[in-house]
Amino acid sequence: MAMLLTILSIGGSILLTPFLMLLVCIIFLASIGKSIGVRRLYVKTLLMIFEYGRKDIETALKNNRKSEKNEDIDEGYSEEITLEKNNENYSVSNGVANGRNNTVINKDDNLVFVPEPPQTKTEEKPSNDVIVQPKEKYNDFELSTVYEYVKAGVEAIIEDDVTSRFEAEELKNWNLLIRTNRGHEFISWKLTFIWMCGFCVRYFFLFPLRVIICCFGVGFLIVSTFSLSLLPKGSAKRWLNEMGYKIGFRVIGQGISAEITMHNVQWRPTRSSVCVANHTSPIDVMVLSTDNCYSLIGQRHGGFLGIFQRALARASPHIWFERSETRDRHAVTNRLKEHVSNPKNPPILIFPEGTCINNTSVMQFKKGSFEVGSVIYPVAIKYDPRFGDAFWNSSRYSMLQYLYMMMTSWAIVCDVWYLPPMYQNEGETAIDFANRVKSVIAKQGGLVDLMWDGQLKRVKAKKEWKERQQEEFSKRLIKAE
Amino acid sequence: MGNRSSLLLREEEIAQIQTETGFTPNQIERLYSRFTSLDRGDCGTLSRDDFLRIPELAINPLGERIVNSFFQNDDFNDRVNFRQFMQVLAHFIPIKKNKENKLNSREEKLRFAFKMYDLDNDDMISKDELLAILHMMVGTNISEEQLNSIAERSITEADEDGDQMISFEEFCKALQRTDVEQKMSIRFLN
Repeated sequence: MAMLLTILSIGGSILLTPFLMLLVCIIFLASIGKSIGVRRLYVKTLLMIFEYGRKDIETALKNNRKSEKNEDIDEGYSEEITLEKNNENYSVSNGVANGRNNTVINKDDNLVFVPEPPQTKTEEKPSNDVIVQPKEKYNDFELSTVYEYVKAGVEAIIEDDVTSRFEAEELKNWNLLIRTNRGHEFISWKLTFIWMCGFCVRYFFLFPLRVIICCFGVGFLIVSTFSLSLLPKGSAKRWLNEMGYKIGFRVIGQGISAEITMHNVQWRPTRSSVCVANHTSPIDVMVLSTDNCYSLIGQRHGGFLGIFQRALARASPHIWFERSETRDRHAVTNRLKEHVSNPKNPPILIFPEGTCINNTSVMQFKKGSFEVGSVIYPVAIKYDPRFGDAFWNSSRYSMLQYLYMMMTSWAIVCDVWYLPPMYQNEGETAIDFANRVKSVIAKQGGLVDLMWDGQLKRVKAKKEWKERQQEEFSKRLIKAE
Repeated sequence: MGNRSSLLLREEEIAQIQTETGFTPNQIERLYSRFTSLDRGDCGTLSRDDFLRIPELAINPLGERIVNSFFQNDDFNDRVNFRQFMQVLAHFIPIKKNKENKLNSREEKLRFAFKMYDLDNDDMISKDELLAILHMMVGTNISEEQLNSIAERSITEADEDGDQMISFEEFCKALQRTDVEQKMSIRFLN
């Protein structure tokens, strides 16, 4: 027993020095914002391993299928669409439309329920005979008229566009993490072995290293903001704050192995502007902050996030408000206006969706931030779900649980696109402007542009939306009367 | 997590549901994963509220009637298990010529459609029931008299024995020329 302990302690002391060297090296590199390409290599290697795993799973599945192949004759109505043929996705870069994969059914689109149908859309164009048929029937009410609604309803039960956005995105191929599997671990011994190796690397090497780096980053931010708060206001303080802010977030970014690619840096948000981005998780803030200093706005949190928020607020202007204040939209808008009116303030970062969405779509933008009347810098953030799901399902996991999952994932790989600044057109309402910005972000990020309110994660659909549908139906009836 | 719980579906259960409904094992697993993600309380059954949490269904004027059709079999139970869930969905499988299936025949599809109107489950559609459905569809946008005349006309058009009600037989006749197979079928992918 004593022997074992001494061996362990000797082994530990030998390994400790390189480990610490590595740590210092990573932190130093992170703080000057340079990369020597280790992460890029790591990501490439991972992709090769996943590709190998995918092939292995496919051959195993094929062998299984052969034994139980039953001739399933499909004809006529049910269409033959093979979903397996999506291999080309591997060569495609991140951020290409990948909205709805893994579908169960093929929906008929002649009756689509959206919260507020655009006025121009009432006149559906009869493009094929499937639509023409029911259209003729609306000349009068018939017993069969309502079945389009029944069918649409059952289709929504099988598959809908909204609730799936609040669940982790499903992957086409297993990325060798347990939490995304579909019972793949025991496909073959080779794959199980790879998974075991990956497990050891992630939990016994990467995880402790990341925790230490992350703690260092948070500690650095807290200490630097505290010492900055002692300095008098002025340009020196602003400059130091900007440096400290970026360094702190870069170190934390290393702590979750974030491999971030910034595109179009010429449109990086300038001072006293509003920066608007799609929201997947609190990590969004970190991702954007590695490249630019922002003022943040949001609800006051408790716990780990709370410590963080208070630290940040010491050194530079951020807007944190109490939960009770959120109802008072005017107060929030006023504080926003006040912030933007000072040309020395850093750009303010807003996530107008108001809730985290699983990075496959963009939901309704709240109009508040578009009422400020300032220039808007849209930013699209797209994570690569193959290396670890960045989506924070806040109803299921706490912040620390989420961080733990992030740190034991392979990496966080993401693309950030700065988009050209946008201004509100004359005569354009805040809602229209918000929708315009949203569609630009959705297009760049390859996300599905949805009209639904992200708050549906917690609350039920509004009654008025149903009334809108009733109105639509009545219009069709009236026309014929 | 929907994915993980799909492991809990046993081979026998899949086989049983497959023979009952005609879904392929792959479809059954995918629908099971959907079922579990709708099941917020993780109790293996769905309540009416679980269904109505789907926004697209909640704003469907007939949403509540559709949900109700899942709770038909058994009046005392206000929760649906996966088997019952699949049996209702099986009505919407397209009809295949060489495959006999109890649940997706033309008659079953018509029966499902009939029950949408038959609020009190007496196998007859009365004028009041028709009016109630019309109310659900149009809300307050059409006047009472107009709705009344629509309901009356629909009844007289379909009614053959003059009892001012539509029986299932009369209903089938009225929809004889309607393409029920298409209207009540969903394209399930393999």
